[in-house]
Amino acid sequence: MIEHAFLIPLLPLAASFLILFGGPERKDSPLPYAGIAAIGLSLWISLRILFDAWSGALPLPYEADWSWFSFAAELRGRPFIFDMRAGVLIEGATAVMLAVVCLVSLLVQVYSLGYMHGDAKFKRYYAYLSFFTASMLGLVVSNNLLVTFACWELVGVSSYLLIGFWFEKTAPPYAAKKAFITTKLGDLGFFLALLTIFAYGGTFNIVRLRDAVAMGYLPELVLTLIGLGLLAGAMGKSAQWPLFIWLPDAMEGPTPVSALIHAATMVAAGIYLVARCYFIFAASQVAMDAVAWTGLITAFLAGTMALVPYDIKRVLAFSTVSQLGFMMCALGVGGYAAGLFHLTTHAFFKALLFLGAGSVIHAVHTNDMRQMGGLSKRMPVTFMTMTVGSLALAGIPPLAGFFSKDQILEKVFERSPFMFAVLALTACLTAFYTFRMVFLTFRGEERDTERFRHAEESGGVMTVPLVILAVLSVCSGWALEHAHAFARLVGSGPGLLPGAAGEAAHHIDPMVMATGVTGAAFLAIGLAYRLYCTPDLSAALAWKERLSLPFKVLEDRYGFDAFFLGLVDAADRLAGLCRWVDAEVVDRIFVDGWGLLCRIAAELSNLFDALFVDQAVDGCGYISRDVVGANLRWFSLRGRVQEYLLYLAVGVSLFSILR
Amino acid sequence: MIHLLSLITFIPLVGALVVLCLPKDGRRPIEVVGLLATALPLVLSCWLYAAFDCSDAAGATMQFVERHAWIPSMNVQYYLGVDGLSGPLVILTALMSLIAMIASLGIKERFKEYVFWFLVLEVGMLGVFESLDFFLFYVFWELTLVPMYFLIGVWGGPQKEYAAIKFFLYTLTGSVFMLLAILALYFQADPHTFDMVALMKIHGSLSLKFQIIVFLGFYLGFAVKVPAFPFHTWLPLAHVEAPTAISVILAAVLLKMGVYGIMRVSYTMLPLGFEWFLPILVMIAVINIVYGALCAMAQTDMKKMVAYSSINHMGYCLLAIAGCSATGFSGSLLQMVNHGIITGALFLLVGVIYDRAHTRDITVFGGLATRVPVYAGFMSLACFASLGLPGLAGFVSEFLCFLGAFTRWKYHTAVAVVGILVTAAFFLRMIEKVFLGPLNNRWADLSDMNARELVSVVPLAILMVALGIWPKWALGMMNATMMHMAGLFK
Repeated sequence: MIEHAFLIPLLPLAASFLILFGGPERKDSPLPYAGIAAIGLSLWISLRILFDAWSGALPLPYEADWSWFSFAAELRGRPFIFDMRAGVLIEGATAVMLAVVCLVSLLVQVYSLGYMHGDAKFKRYYAYLSFFTASMLGLVVSNNLLVTFACWELVGVSSYLLIGFWFEKTAPPYAAKKAFITTKLGDLGFFLALLTIFAYGGTFNIVRLRDAVAMGYLPELVLTLIGLGLLAGAMGKSAQWPLFIWLPDAMEGPTPVSALIHAATMVAAGIYLVARCYFIFAASQVAMDAVAWTGLITAFLAGTMALVPYDIKRVLAFSTVSQLGFMMCALGVGGYAAGLFHLTTHAFFKALLFLGAGSVIHAVHTNDMRQMGGLSKRMPVTFMTMTVGSLALAGIPPLAGFFSKDQILEKVFERSPFMFAVLALTACLTAFYTFRMVFLTFRGEERDTERFRHAEESGGVMTVPLVILAVLSVCSGWALEHAHAFARLVGSGPGLLPGAAGEAAHHIDPMVMATGVTGAAFLAIGLAYRLYCTPDLSAALAWKERLSLPFKVLEDRYGFDAFFLGLVDAADRLAGLCRWVDAEVVDRIFVDGWGLLCRIAAELSNLFDALFVDQAVDGCGYISRDVVGANLRWFSLRGRVQEYLLYLAVGVSLFSILR
Repeated sequence: MIHLLSLITFIPLVGALVVLCLPKDGRRPIEVVGLLATALPLVLSCWLYAAFDCSDAAGATMQFVERHAWIPSMNVQYYLGVDGLSGPLVILTALMSLIAMIASLGIKERFKEYVFWFLVLEVGMLGVFESLDFFLFYVFWELTLVPMYFLIGVWGGPQKEYAAIKFFLYTLTGSVFMLLAILALYFQADPHTFDMVALMKIHGSLSLKFQIIVFLGFYLGFAVKVPAFPFHTWLPLAHVEAPTAISVILAAVLLKMGVYGIMRVSYTMLPLGFEWFLPILVMIAVINIVYGALCAMAQTDMKKMVAYSSINHMGYCLLAIAGCSATGFSGSLLQMVNHGIITGALFLLVGVIYDRAHTRDITVFGGLATRVPVYAGFMSLACFASLGLPGLAGFVSEFLCFLGAFTRWKYHTAVAVVGILVTAAFFLRMIEKVFLGPLNNRWADLSDMNARELVSVVPLAILMVALGIWPKWALGMMNATMMHMAGLFK
């Protein structure tokens, strides 16, 4: 089975082209099923690989590659033909990630059959979705960082296409562009990291690069720079501070897309990249610290920002950013397995929450939670499954989120109690905003009767994926934690620095910590209940009144959006300046100036001509007529022909003598 | 001997002469001759591609060589040949000429003269890349100027006369300095020769001062063509005023003559002068990239925007050359080919909308994707290719360009990558403003692309994807020569 690993991304790729070009856009087009079939096959291969890896039947890592192209390259002044090879590299983390991506992707595609039913661009939606899945899977399996980068950009463009899917409206195209450009800003770091890797390592192959790092061929400063570049890429793609501004806007896309791309898979790509290149980060304390602090700041800021919005998808978007911060922070403190564990569980429960939110939106046709309320009566399955997802997100035992978050907190405490305190606080915030969302949406009285009356539970094609994800949200944490199955599978991360993970600096009893954090989470849920599980929102609004300044700051997202908009503005002004300089300065100097120079030269030569050359001619005339001629007239006046002949004879003889 | 290169070069000339003899009123025969005279060289250049020896041993030699004495008293020869550097450009020229000829079929007035000048232009372009004798090279180089002058000046936009004279005089000025440089080399060589292959071997006897002066002479000639900052300002105007097909040729082929010249002449014949100039060249490249992209971002005229994006993309080529490594040379050459295909397509597509809307102002459109989906699809594809999306042609070449420069110019390269971001920004903004959002009702009855437009764009679209996925097809032809070139002065 493993030898078919290369098919995992290629099957959805083929499907996406088949869907796009295979037939006309019709309501009952069968082509979307091709996408579902392809991803089903990929899932089957991935699960077989995962199972073989877990049971030990398959020795990892597995690598296979093929020549893609070759080019004349040069390293240290020596030209050679560099063979660029593309292929697959399957490690424990890869096997897990493949299964997660395929599974969520399949469920989302099935769910979309219901959610997108009747959309005018139904077929195109499936083509894009398959294309996204293909590039995401390519990113995960590739053994070549350049190919990883290529797929990285392709998931970016799929995200662009899907966020802007309803391009007839004004907001989605804008959000799509914002997402693409913001992530591209981070990608510049990734790009520079790739250049540095090749310049110093002479390869893009992950295994060979790892060997080169292990042998100490790359100086630490270089590794730090590479690490920071990769981190910049991850900041963009995984919506880390300060590049997280694009993710809330990305919610303009269809909700299943938000579930797949902007919650479960693509935004996890940055985390995965850091994990995949962990050997680089592990070799540089600076890079590790940068990862940890980025994650920490992101987790906290996004956690607070999730407290205020009334758009159900924005709450989930901020929550996603915050949880990605948790993962990043875990990786930064040496919690390789913990970070990836949280990535896995989060993929399930956050996809569940988004799909649940999609089910609600599908029923009431609004994202605004103020117009919801009391929906548990109308949509019991959605309510139940979303509650499960929320409990998992809030980290309540024994659901999935508890185990993974617990591992992260433990790792972070070993590194630094301060970071632990911030993350634990964020965990409480998580519990609060999650249940704020649940109570606002499903409990209390209906606030919009019209919408409430028309709300109906979604059909089976949408609820079955919800149920499956709910089951996974319940079981996956416990099952993977059991006997350290997950940690065994992904390993503990290669070559850590002693300081980073070897000996823990601080210790805490895991039981005490788990109890404490869980208790705090329960308190937060209780608070959310008091504030939001009421017939009207007066208590919450009173709080908002009292704390208007902090609310304002949070609603403005700490001004980061404004900052980046200002940056864009500045760039535009600079561009305008360049345009002016080009037309009024460069063109004037070099084109008109050159022309002027030629004109001046021409005028000068004209003047010279007039002044000297022509004057010389005139002068000759003047001399011969007015000077010589006038004096000669003295002779001619007398009219003596003999004298003339005499002068002539003298002149001739003088000439002949002089010769 | 089949005289393949002579056939490729002079079939368009034969076509031009035949067109001259045809009656002015019969449009169809002129079309047929024009298409045949551009299609045959493409067929033959495909043959050239198939017969081209890509082995490592062939890297140092010229292939398909034709060599005859021409003016013996001055030691001038008729000397043609291609290697991995010029071969891909010959094929590109033949391809883009056919595409542009197809796009030209929409020309309404004075069609006969148009085809005549167009075919003469093709002769000049092909000849520049093939000739290995400076005299011949210069003849072909200048041969491109006159047809271009008429093609812009007669069939262009509102400011055509001004644009044409500006283009003509400006590039001619560059050529004059190049001519002086050629003569300097000619008289320096012993025995006096215009033979470029022979001149590549005499650099050992040239002093640094001589090389610098001669280098600067050549550089002025080439830089105007590239166009390199600050000699680039003729380009946007010429592009805006030129008819669509001529913009395509201008961007796809004419600009390449400058970069080709730097690689073929400046680097191989004057290594010391080249080396001396590198720190300046890399600065110019970075300015081209960043400044060109910023200028493009500020434009509201689509065609001007694409024109400035060309300045940005040719900056990548210069940056790669400044890296002075095998990687850089490969990147630069591949970028030339890809830029030709992508920007050619972009200009064609801009022409499509201009023909219908009679405006190119980005701000007056909106929501066209619902109205002209096929057009929107091709335009987006070309834009994404141009901004370097993986899977499309621009990505690999851009990456190689940066890779080639990075080893030597780390900081410059790090600054230059900002150009990638700006490029993405202005292309996406253009797509958003023109195609996305609610449909602007003013354009409610716009028609989608017609058959002629599709025939000219589809091959380029296919090539963008093909070369993006499988760059081997282009790189295979270049590798051996690039290896040889990089190893020349090691």
